[in-house]
Amino acid sequence: MFTEYSVLENKLFQIIDDNGKVVNPSYMPSLSDSEVLKVYKQMLFARTADLQTVSYQRQGRIFTYPPNYGQEAISAAVGLRIRENDWLVPAFREMGAMLSKGVTLKELFMYFMGYEDGSAFKGANRVLPISVPIASQLVHASGIGYAINQTKEDSIVYAFVGDGGTSEGDFHEAINFAGVWKVPVIFIIQNNQYGISTPTRMQTASESLAIKAVAYGVKGIKVDGNDLFAMIKAIDESIEVCKKGEGPVLIEAITYRKGAHTTSDDPTKYRTKEEEMKWDKKDPMKRLMAYLQERGLWSTNEEEAILPQYKEEVDRQFIEAENYGPYPNEDVFKYMYSQMPDDLKDQLNEYERFLKWKESKLSNKK
Amino acid sequence: MRYIFKFPDIGEGLEEGTIVEWHVEKGQSVKMGDPLVTMETDKVVTAIPSPKNGVIAAKYGKVGEIIHVGSALVEIDIESSEEMENTQPVEEEGAGVVGTLEVAGNDLILSASKEGVAPVDNQRKREKALATPVARAMAKELNIDINSVVGTGAGGRVTKEDIQKFFSGSSTTQAPAIQKEESRIDNRERIEVVQMSQIRKTIAKNMIMSKHNAAHMTVFEEAEISELIKIRERYKKSFADEGIKLTYLAFVVKAVAKALKKHRSLNSQMDMEAGSIIYKNYYNIGIAIDAPKGLIVPVIRDADTLSIKEIASEITEISQKAREGKTSLDDMKDGTFTITSYGSIGGLFAVPVINYPQAAILGIGRVFEKPIVQNSNITIGNIMPLSLSVDHRIADGGETARFINCVMGYLNDPVSLILD
Repeated sequence: MFTEYSVLENKLFQIIDDNGKVVNPSYMPSLSDSEVLKVYKQMLFARTADLQTVSYQRQGRIFTYPPNYGQEAISAAVGLRIRENDWLVPAFREMGAMLSKGVTLKELFMYFMGYEDGSAFKGANRVLPISVPIASQLVHASGIGYAINQTKEDSIVYAFVGDGGTSEGDFHEAINFAGVWKVPVIFIIQNNQYGISTPTRMQTASESLAIKAVAYGVKGIKVDGNDLFAMIKAIDESIEVCKKGEGPVLIEAITYRKGAHTTSDDPTKYRTKEEEMKWDKKDPMKRLMAYLQERGLWSTNEEEAILPQYKEEVDRQFIEAENYGPYPNEDVFKYMYSQMPDDLKDQLNEYERFLKWKESKLSNKK
Repeated sequence: MRYIFKFPDIGEGLEEGTIVEWHVEKGQSVKMGDPLVTMETDKVVTAIPSPKNGVIAAKYGKVGEIIHVGSALVEIDIESSEEMENTQPVEEEGAGVVGTLEVAGNDLILSASKEGVAPVDNQRKREKALATPVARAMAKELNIDINSVVGTGAGGRVTKEDIQKFFSGSSTTQAPAIQKEESRIDNRERIEVVQMSQIRKTIAKNMIMSKHNAAHMTVFEEAEISELIKIRERYKKSFADEGIKLTYLAFVVKAVAKALKKHRSLNSQMDMEAGSIIYKNYYNIGIAIDAPKGLIVPVIRDADTLSIKEIASEITEISQKAREGKTSLDDMKDGTFTITSYGSIGGLFAVPVINYPQAAILGIGRVFEKPIVQNSNITIGNIMPLSLSVDHRIADGGETARFINCVMGYLNDPVSLILD
């Protein structure tokens, strides 16, 4: 696959077309009908949760939120293949993969409400917290990969970054290091066409993002990220590469962010309706739905019947997060060291004095 | 149980928003997630969904009014009382995902330095003022030296309000004429001060931007349209039966789209910084509409590919939407050329202001009868006055004249619109 779809020739790896027809059967991963349906339902749940989260934000009930809308297939493919002992290193637009790994929606909601406990992931093994500083997580991923090589564990790291993140120094450092030490990391670039408002053509002078793999001496591939099957196949082959000790792999997943960058962003200011309509035809769920319908595995009636249950479940977890209780002040300072050093203790004390001062100012105002 | 829903900060440091449209009425039942109202803010135009199941007990503010963050938007009667727990909107103090973290106008936020915990000497004047980006931009716009403004924000930061106060306080030097005029009016009751709507602010900004940046030049012409009038009369009725209003404007749009294909500099824009001119190979014609709240310019997309009937149908549709105040930002995006038909209300010639950064705008005056000389005979002609403003930086006089000749030719001989 890596030879046939050479990044030097800028080829795009695809298995189904925009209408859900299999156009590349030789690469079709072997999945049972029920497995495909299960993944579709997970994507549907993630999309439902995502849309509702934007609504909660508009209700003033959570802080800023970065929507996943339109990018669900990438997370779903990773979610299908990632194992208990594998590591997930997310950026901040990988809700589906995090849910598959055992993170709960309640925890994600708590994160966006500002709770440190929202990053504790009590039921999920080996998931790093959401990473807002762009591309910084990739360095951690390479480090974890290096540790895996030392311990000789059977484990693989799945690390995410956006197209904008590829312009960061950390991207270079992480992949360069990973290539030198042949660490088992699958780097996945979610190329959703925009880094906030910067289009990909302004992000790099390279022909693609995947071609950067060549410079680092690692395997790379450009995949249709809105094609679930192509994503699964690309990951399967990348797993093989890592298992042989020939890692890492760089996957550029071509997708489109149908929503805003975050809830503070207005994409109509930098992209046209025509462009959005063009990408609507490539929507990952629409394509998978066509595939399922063709085989009589799923119908719009069944979907309409299940959606209210999904919505209710999302609301239920959200209200649980909302009722989590007050935010403990020391949480801001608590988690960097196992024992809080003196300077952090000073800061905590100062913060508490400040809160008292603020309180007195507020009561004076009244 | 009554729940008061306050307008939340939905965009990291917003201060206010303008009501664009209400989606609920008093007494109406709503479910959590149902849209209550569409608000326009500095960041986005978006529907605000209900946070509760219940019945709308009160609504605050009319369309066009400004609502401050934290002010009541609606009151909802909800069923259970325990739902009130933990449901007050949360206060945001600068959370962000790769966005701005600075918070404007809140004097309760700890400043970065240690002095934040001690009482801050707000009156101290700094050499280089600390200020929020909003305040900095505002000062620049109003031509105020921000370093001479006393900050009242956290750590002595200059806030938007400080700039506003400073501006109104020093406006004698900024705008002496206006100040004098106002001071002469002793009786305050004889004037009315009205807050500008968002749309009025946008119009003002765009007009000034156009006049500052484009080199306006206008040419006037008279198109003889007797043939066109006959054709319109012939088809008006059958179009109306299909709910389409056949106006002269539909023909003008078609003529303009065709003429632009031959004279592409009028369908371009200049990028001074890049030192380039962007020629557009699509023809999206904006139509200036006198909507109830003010001037708006919805766009007819790819007008060159549409028939006159399709154009007429779109004009009917966008006018309807504009009257009902339902025009969305999307409807007004991506125009490449604009037509303003003030003549349908009145006026023969005008000097239209270019819809910047477009290169040209065509004004259509009132159609009237006038004696004209044809083959040495005086006959009665039907005249459509045309006023074409171009950005003279892009379009030279010759090209401008050739374009208007081309448009006139099509209008004078409408059959050529189809044959050509």
